[in-house]
Amino acid sequence: MITTVIGNYPKIPDMPAPGKWRSAVEKFQKGQLTEAELRQVEDEVTLEAIQDQVDAGVDLITDGQIRWEDGQTHFARRLRGLSINGLQRYFDTNIYFREPVAEGEIAWVEPVSVRDFEFARRHSPRPVKPVVTGPFTLARLGRNAYYQSGREFVLALARALNAELRALQEAGAEIIQVDEPALCRYKQEYSLFAEAMTVLVDGVNTKKVLCTYFGDVDGVYPQLLQLPFEVIGLDFVAGYRNWDVIARAPFTKTLMCGILDARNTRLETVDEIGRAIRRITGVVPPDRVMVAPSAGLEFLPHGVAKRKLQRLVEGTRAASQALKGVQA
Amino acid sequence: MSFPLLPTTAVGSYPKPAYLLEARRKFLRKHLSKEELTELERRATREWIQIQEDAGMDLLVDGEQYRGDMVAYFADEMQGFAIAGLVRSYGNRYYLKPVVVGPVGRRHPVTVEWFTYAQSLTSKPVKGMLTGPYTIAEWSFNEHYPTRRELVLELARAIHQEVVDLQRAGARFIQIDEPAIHTRPEEDFDLAVEAMEIVTDGVGVYTVSHICYGDVPKIYPAMLKLAVNQLDLALKNEEFALLETFKKSPFTKDIGLGVVDAHSHRVESVEEIADGIRRTLGVIPAKQIFISPDCGLKTRTAEETVGKLRNMVEATKLVRAELTGTRERAPA
Repeated sequence: MITTVIGNYPKIPDMPAPGKWRSAVEKFQKGQLTEAELRQVEDEVTLEAIQDQVDAGVDLITDGQIRWEDGQTHFARRLRGLSINGLQRYFDTNIYFREPVAEGEIAWVEPVSVRDFEFARRHSPRPVKPVVTGPFTLARLGRNAYYQSGREFVLALARALNAELRALQEAGAEIIQVDEPALCRYKQEYSLFAEAMTVLVDGVNTKKVLCTYFGDVDGVYPQLLQLPFEVIGLDFVAGYRNWDVIARAPFTKTLMCGILDARNTRLETVDEIGRAIRRITGVVPPDRVMVAPSAGLEFLPHGVAKRKLQRLVEGTRAASQALKGVQA
Repeated sequence: MSFPLLPTTAVGSYPKPAYLLEARRKFLRKHLSKEELTELERRATREWIQIQEDAGMDLLVDGEQYRGDMVAYFADEMQGFAIAGLVRSYGNRYYLKPVVVGPVGRRHPVTVEWFTYAQSLTSKPVKGMLTGPYTIAEWSFNEHYPTRRELVLELARAIHQEVVDLQRAGARFIQIDEPAIHTRPEEDFDLAVEAMEIVTDGVGVYTVSHICYGDVPKIYPAMLKLAVNQLDLALKNEEFALLETFKKSPFTKDIGLGVVDAHSHRVESVEEIADGIRRTLGVIPAKQIFISPDCGLKTRTAEETVGKLRNMVEATKLVRAELTGTRERAPA
């Protein structure tokens, strides 16, 4: 059983320090810092995010998405055909993103996340998982002012992001995660979702994770298991129904189970994590389980996020030991 | 109320002057006493009251010079909260997110002293300014209450006491901000409505609720059920697209019409603002409209803020004159 994270991580330290990233962005906006200097600071903060994960003992890490303004614009700004509109609430959180708008033919121009992936891999003793926001979520949190139909909009994004996944594959990524939280909110569009996923991963032979959060997959399970992904990520906190859902059909893939609440400061006990893992492993064998927080940890202050990482590892190790004891 | 047609007002916060920002930093490092900080907060409050009077606004706000954040301020002053730390809201903007660690409630009136001070500086009415229970709950971590519902309703009872105290202190206009209200519209909009009924229960003053961003069409016309006289909304940020929503079902309350964008550095011209007001008049009767910025202006510079307020008042005067036919003729 390995531990992993969903993606983002706090960019600034706890009070009272303002944090070098935040200061750097302010200076950059005032023209007192060049873009290269800002990138340098982002690199430093990325190294700190990597270090926190490594120190905690997380097995499969991300770069913390320190450079992401948000999950939408990070990709939308770098694809052709999209412009960036006003602020919108990100699902039921108090985080806001700028809305991407399709105003022309969408096309992939150059790698968006390859440099960041390579940077993180170069500086991490642990394997690094690049994350790409999926075409369905990008479309549902965006606006279509160009394509004849919503379907065309989603599929155009899927084709563009397919090039991104291929670029990551070429750069040597062994595992790639696709984030599709919007699936939990728009299950009635599952057939379009499935079509987009097929387009998205065409020719991509790495291990692939389909990551959902902020809800459950009741209604699209077990169909979800037919999709061309080796790992499925489910949120067992906001999507508490997932506990019942996964018991309804044999879980034939690897399950990345989000069982620590990434959106509440309350720290789960080792016991609670153990109980959750026992429940999961009653349905999915331990060698096909990855344990994770329920979503990205940037919803938490830095200190709490760090403690969640430590507890994630502590709880999973204790549960692993207990399971081995049972088997022996 | 002795307001002119289309009274002008503001949502709540104004930027803090440099001397106050510096003082707040010193206070955090314990290089400045609470008394010294309060004196500078009062100075900044006086300055903003003066600016609003000079601009010719009708219904003033105290500018929230003494608040860091609309939720953390209440969490600090009430019991049951601790401060968890900074959490990002967008870009490089962060807010102090409180955590509910025990039963919540008031220790003492939270805003009455500042309201009384601001009102003492002007003969124009000043709004009492509160954060609503749904938003305080939604923008806090909850480690204590088993359900969000219990937390929201307990907070509603506390904020109701605050409304009663403000009324007793002479407030005739009280605003209860609920910018988080459309966070889970399907799941618990009714809870937000129930909470607001508790907050304004039996209150005899004019009440306002400010709601911003998020998916307003999703809670319309349901939002008209909120137990307040006026809903204050951000129209300018999306170039008055909300008017299409209001055409589908009549806007039955007063509206605080956001006519300048609180998140853009550009100072809208008088003509541009007037045009937004005129477009609204085709959808909502003039007697139901208050004119306001989209949101609190604390993220703008002082210069941008003054420019936006001034042009907002000038544009309102222009439209007011067109409506009442009192526009002075240019001399021949």
